[in-house]
Amino acid sequence: MRYNKTLRNNNTIWSDTTSHKQQTQHTNDFNIRFVFSGDEVYNIGRRQLTLYPDQFLILNKGTQYTSKIDSANPVESFSMGFDQAFLQDFSNSWQLNERKLLDKTSSRVHEYDFSETLYPFKGDMRFNVQHLKDYMDKGVHNEMLINEYMHHSLLNYYTIYDQEIYKKIESLKFLNRSTKVEILRRLNLAKEYLLSNFNQNISLEDLADHACLSVNHLLRTFKQAFHQSPHQFLMQTRLTRAKLLLKTTNYPINEIVNLVGFECPSSFIRLFKNRYEITPLKFRCSL
Amino acid sequence: MEEQVRFFTGKLKFRVVKKLDLYPHAAATLVQSDNADVLVAIAENREYKNTKNCIILSTDDCLKDYHYLKAEGLIFTKEPHYLPVGLVAEFTDHSDNRFMLIEERNYNDDL
Repeated sequence: MRYNKTLRNNNTIWSDTTSHKQQTQHTNDFNIRFVFSGDEVYNIGRRQLTLYPDQFLILNKGTQYTSKIDSANPVESFSMGFDQAFLQDFSNSWQLNERKLLDKTSSRVHEYDFSETLYPFKGDMRFNVQHLKDYMDKGVHNEMLINEYMHHSLLNYYTIYDQEIYKKIESLKFLNRSTKVEILRRLNLAKEYLLSNFNQNISLEDLADHACLSVNHLLRTFKQAFHQSPHQFLMQTRLTRAKLLLKTTNYPINEIVNLVGFECPSSFIRLFKNRYEITPLKFRCSL
Repeated sequence: MEEQVRFFTGKLKFRVVKKLDLYPHAAATLVQSDNADVLVAIAENREYKNTKNCIILSTDDCLKDYHYLKAEGLIFTKEPHYLPVGLVAEFTDHSDNRFMLIEERNYNDDL
């Protein structure tokens, strides 16, 4: 599906399905990016992020980035752009509610400059964006309804941001708040590195290097923030993505084992069974 | 509440499907009509005017239905909001019957 829609309030939505693409550009607006199948590589500054269907990517207004798709199967990418006025409106009403509810005057979202990262694409966000996409794919465009969907997607993003950034900052055991913020910024670098390179052999030293933390420091703080070790996080990512491949492709299991970076099928099957209480083959047959 | 449930099961031949928490701390019993077309939730506590019953309309896209019903001039008592069961909007008819438009969402499936 390919379309590019600009609404009357300058919000934009586009969808594209392609196997090869490379472009460098600036974002005109605050953007939320998705892929519904395959993967897309983003280069932002010196960071390289790979977007998979279980994550979404935030790009702020004016960010320069290069995005690249190079795959045998077509990749379905989807993007929402939010006009500044729409964002401002939203953020005013959101803060109003928040103030009423929590009786405080802080503007919590976008206090920090590292919001441009990968977030888990799950829960209500997934349902709402999926509905919006289904609706857009049909080719009928009621702008009020599209804005309603976009409003809710933004609401869901704020909730996720709160969980992924604020709650994590709170959970770090340092006295100084600016230390907590800085540590989380670095931990996020480690996390996005794991998410983007999950199918490679990643050594702890590499990871620590990437996050500008010492190995010990990384291990300790990673666990505080994400309640699991980097290794556990990596295994979990591999399993989720293997599950996705089992669901959406007919690749043989041996192939999937290689694609998600496991060394041997038997350890993959064992871990998969431990986590989902079903073997990969039975899981695929049960669909 | 018992009386209400008996009214539906006895007179209208509804079946009790399950008990669930519509809202935190608001237990409700869900009863279903014989042909499974209608679901009614009966709450323990009086929450809205004098009605303890609430008619549940299931939908696969709450926002879309909300939008179209609103365009028809229907006034919602509660805008779409998120609950443990999913996305829910509420409205009443002229005789104060309470309707809940529920899109049930399964949050356990990670993909």
